[in-house]
Amino acid sequence: MLFAQLLANGLQTGALYALIAAGFSLIFGMTRIFHAAHGATFTIAGFIFYEFYSVLHWGWPIAAIASAAAAGLFGVLLDRFVYAIIQRHEGSFFTVFVASFGAAIVVQNLISIFFGRGMVTVTTPLSKSIELMPGLFIAPISGIIILCAVISFLILQWLLTRTNLGIALRALGENPNLIEVYGLTPRRLSQYVFLIGSVLVVPAAILTSATSGLNPSMGNHIMLISIAATIVGGVGSLRGAAVAGMLLGLAENLCLAVIDPQWSEAVTFVILFLFILFRPGGVYGRAIVS
Amino acid sequence: MKKILTGIALVSAAWALPSSAADLNIGAAFPLSGANAEYGQVFSSGADLAVQHINADKKLSGKLTMVYEDSQALPAQGVIAANKLVNVSKTPFVLSAFTGVSKAIAPVGLRTKTVMVNGGGVGPDLASLGEYFWNTIPLVDFEVRIIAPYLVKEKGFKKVALVYVDDPFGQSILKELEVELKKAGGELVGSFSIPTTAQQFSGVAARVRDIKPDAVYIATYGNQQVQLVKQLRDNGISQPIASYSGVVLPSMLNLPEAKGLIYTSQQVDWDKGDAMTKRVREDYNAKYKKDPSMYVLNYYNAVMTFADLAAALEKAGKPVTGENLLAQRKATKTFEFVGGTVSFEDNGTVKSPIQINEMVGDGSSKTIAAAK
Repeated sequence: MLFAQLLANGLQTGALYALIAAGFSLIFGMTRIFHAAHGATFTIAGFIFYEFYSVLHWGWPIAAIASAAAAGLFGVLLDRFVYAIIQRHEGSFFTVFVASFGAAIVVQNLISIFFGRGMVTVTTPLSKSIELMPGLFIAPISGIIILCAVISFLILQWLLTRTNLGIALRALGENPNLIEVYGLTPRRLSQYVFLIGSVLVVPAAILTSATSGLNPSMGNHIMLISIAATIVGGVGSLRGAAVAGMLLGLAENLCLAVIDPQWSEAVTFVILFLFILFRPGGVYGRAIVS
Repeated sequence: MKKILTGIALVSAAWALPSSAADLNIGAAFPLSGANAEYGQVFSSGADLAVQHINADKKLSGKLTMVYEDSQALPAQGVIAANKLVNVSKTPFVLSAFTGVSKAIAPVGLRTKTVMVNGGGVGPDLASLGEYFWNTIPLVDFEVRIIAPYLVKEKGFKKVALVYVDDPFGQSILKELEVELKKAGGELVGSFSIPTTAQQFSGVAARVRDIKPDAVYIATYGNQQVQLVKQLRDNGISQPIASYSGVVLPSMLNLPEAKGLIYTSQQVDWDKGDAMTKRVREDYNAKYKKDPSMYVLNYYNAVMTFADLAAALEKAGKPVTGENLLAQRKATKTFEFVGGTVSFEDNGTVKSPIQINEMVGDGSSKTIAAAK
């Protein structure tokens, strides 16, 4: 029964990781901006939801909308007033990365100032596990997490493959110079990418606030997951991010059947290392030849 | 331009003037950012209150100022912070916290003859870091020696599981708990180490559930312990959870899932009735609308210890240096701490009785076993 329990936990963690990684993968794949502040977007989304839901008691739909608005706004503003300016002055990939990293630190400190430096959690009966059969405990929120992940990926897949905006965004990822020939503006499209990528992290942030709680410095952990899943899944591949997130979540939990919890995080990096060595393009990525 | 330059020169000259020959600085290497920053907030509230009281009472001939540096609760960062406090800010007395950080910065104190005082870390090794390293908090081995027999003999929890953070502090708890449970007639039925950065514990909960313990002892700190308790409870661990004094953080006290958590702490006699205890309780309550926690008191006491020693040195006409502070501490038999009179052991650690408490779930806790 321990294996079944770990499998169930792995599916929940994996779905959460997939949701977290999707936004980062989308932004990095389409704009080639290493958005180190993606973890900060997650933290903002989580804390805004907490404020509206647990402190102001405005109900979860309004709290979720506020959370999505804050995350989307942060992403768009960062792209417009930081990344765009650096890129306009021919700033290198590394300059943009440092700016993004700096923004993440500023956000972490601002959240500490406004919300305190401690842990906050959203209390809900949905996070309490129910014993489905002897030794197998599942919380209703696990189902919600998996459902959210499936719905988010379906919507995203539809958006990217069936709409003009999606096609334009994919073209941006392929060749930003060429799309100008078709009258499209890469900078404007970049803002759509940041809006969608930032809002994508909202379900994961809301669900994390109820399952494991939020703290101002959690962005670093989120970034680690995002980077690992993006590399394992293949840069720019949403399907890859979903599969990699699930793979990492399952591996992190299933390994507990045989090893100490202390090494479970290391398993993530062993997988990452193996992919870098033997399949650098990731699960769905393309081999890059320089 | 001439006027501007003259103005700058005047401002610079005024800035360079010593405010008073007897003004003193003391330092603190606390976690002010990162996952353990909440501790830094709590620790500094105690130290700041002591500085406020010392200056208001004119206990020293000059003004006492606290200089903070961010250790991030990381040993390497702690050493940078301690070096800056000792070599740049020239503080003869530095407050420290966290076992790993304290062990890393103790050699700096020993080398530069600077007193380092810990009021937050509880690893047993902290008692043997040299004569310039003092502890105003009883170390965790004393706490485990009290809670192990309580769990086994008084509560009947013979099978105990341990979830501990994989660092020197966690490993010392594992060692101590294994011995003390056995002595009390119980057994450590499982121990699960977790990395300091872990945030997902549903798998750990499954492993703990699988061995069916009577109680679970957790030994980690900061935000991680709050996440751990929440996730253990959410994932079907209904057994009592026990821990050490490090769980007393506002976020843990307010966590509904932490209701019933049993923990040890040093004794504070709020009814002692002395002016110092009364003043600290009243002033802290006036500012923060709650009673001060043990950590607040430990750092308040640490700064007060400095003030007592420095005042004695000033009276004797000696300079306030780390070397003189150490000599003065050795010459002083007892110190008046908030809630009790204490003495330092030869290894620089205070002796204090340990009591057992239980979290109520509304931000407060109650004593369930008197101090021993």
